Parts: sequence; C-alpha cells; structure tokens
Amino acid sequence: MKSKSSPAEGRFAYEGLDRIIHERARLSILTSLATHPKGLTFNDLKQLCALTDGNLSRHLDVLEKGRLVEILKGHDRNRPLTVCRITATGRKRYLEYLSTLEQVIHDASKQVANESESLPRGLTPSKA
Amino acid sequence: MNDLYRALGDISSIRKQVANTTEFRGYGPATLAATGAFAVLAALVQQIFVADATNHLWAYLAIWSATAILSCVITGVQMCTRSRRIHSSLSDEMIRMAVEQFLPSLGAGLLLTIVLVHYVPTAAWMLPGLWQILFSLGIFSSCRFLPRPMLAAGVWYLFTGLACIAMGGPRALSPWAMGISFGVGQGLVAAILLFSTREVIDEV
Repeated sequence: MKSKSSPAEGRFAYEGLDRIIHERARLSILTSLATHPKGLTFNDLKQLCALTDGNLSRHLDVLEKGRLVEILKGHDRNRPLTVCRITATGRKRYLEYLSTLEQVIHDASKQVANESESLPRGLTPSKA
Repeated sequence: MNDLYRALGDISSIRKQVANTTEFRGYGPATLAATGAFAVLAALVQQIFVADATNHLWAYLAIWSATAILSCVITGVQMCTRSRRIHSSLSDEMIRMAVEQFLPSLGAGLLLTIVLVHYVPTAAWMLPGLWQILFSLGIFSSCRFLPRPMLAAGVWYLFTGLACIAMGGPRALSPWAMGISFGVGQGLVAAILLFSTREVIDEV
C-alpha cells in the first residue's frame, strides 16, 4: 500500500541547490559570467573571482563538464585568447539556484523571527 | 537577522544585474501585429464616421484613445503572461524595466493631449505627429533590451511623426496619418521581433 506523504515532506529539501554551483569559487565564476552574457576572457575572470590560474582552470573544467559554461579558444593579435561564456543551461540552472537560495534565506529569516518573538521581552539571545 | 536581509538584498541585486543584460522577449509579434491592425481599423472607422476631424475633435480623440487603450491592455496582458513563461524567475524584474522604459513616453503623450486640447485647441492638429514622435522616443529608450533592428521602427515613427507635422493643418488629422504610421510601424515591430528571435532557449 502506498503511504500518504505529509504536505510538509520535502519542505526543506532544497533540490535546486545544485551541487556543481554550490561552491564559492564556482558560484563566483557563474555570477561573473551571468552578468556578462557575451563572455569574459580567462584573465578577466581570474581577476574578478580572485582565483589563481590553476584554481580557475579546475573549476572551469567542472563547470564545462556540467555544460554550464563553454570555453572558446581563439587568437587575438597572434596571441592565444580563451573566452569563457555561460551556456543556456548554465544560465537557467544558475537562476534556479538563486531562487532556491532565496527560499532558504526566507525560511531561515522566518525561523529567526519566530524565535525572537517567543523570547521574553527585553531579553536578546547571547552571541556565542 | 540583518545578515539574512543583506543576503536577500545581494540576491536581488544579482538578479537585477542578470536582468539588465538579458534581451526582453515579453513583447509577442502576433500581439503587436494585432495592434497595427487595430490602427488600420480605427483609420477606417474614422474615415467613415469622422471624415471632418478638425470640427469633431472629441470624436477623433475618442476613436484613437480607445484604440490606444485597447492596444495597451492586450500588449500589457500578453507581456505579463509571455514574460512569466519565457523569463520565469527574472520576469518581474524584466517587466518592471520594460514598463519603466516605455511609460514616460506614454505619460507624456497623455499629458500633451490634455494640455493641447484644453488650452491650445487650435494646435490640436499637431497631436498625431507628436504622438508618433513620443512613441518613437519610447522605442528608442527600450532598444537597449530589444533586438538591435528595433532602431528601424523608432526611426520610422520619428519620420512619420515629423512628416505629419510638416503636412500641417487639417491634413495632419486625416485617418491615414495615424492608420498608415501605426499600421506599418507595428507591422515592422512585429516582423523585427519575429525574425530576430534566435533559436535558443537561454531565456529563463
């Protein structure tokens, strides 16, 4: 027999918190690329995200394998130029991630508000 | 609690930045083509019922105001539904920006009409030309979020508006001064939107 799931089941599952995006460096890479739809050069991205060459390459590799970004290699005045761009899927998943993150913060702020209402007047929680 | 509010503010500002760099797809080509057809219909109605618009200014204004209101309502409703479908989580931000860009020219057009009709009725023949010029300014200010060829539609309305003023006098109130301008102009806008729609699904 199929058990009936309660309406609250999965309320805090936050499925939209994509594991690939949910990492500080990758989140900062995707944020930079989402606000520059024409793409950014490797060096610009490195500066914007304050990452080393190795770190940036590693995270870009993860994002590229997840099809969230595309890396275009070309030349500019006979110099090799790498341009990174967010893909359609990457943009969609990034915005879904933002919505879920917003939901997490809304839920947390509701909880904090409830807790502070239940405290006796004049008392504030100590900062540990 | 402040940290949580700050985090929400940060997310909202990221969303605004992303919306700022996204092409607006809320205007539907079919709806805008329909508004062009309304303009042609209104011109026909004017030709049949208000042939002498100079002496029946209120009737002239009633025809074109009704056409403008109807066009605004269907464009607005479709903009909201289409934007929610195409831009999903960015839709509110995108609709807000689209309205912010176009509303000043619509507001200026409304106020200009009231002022001219009430205080300088002898200059009311300038209204069709001024409406078209203001409409072109609305298009120019929206161009940043629309396909680049949309500039051509702005140029069209600017040209037809200036031509209406150059015609001068009662001729500027002829039904086709508005019918052709908006019929062709909205058709052009619809065609630009239709053909510049890239086959991508990057709008979210």
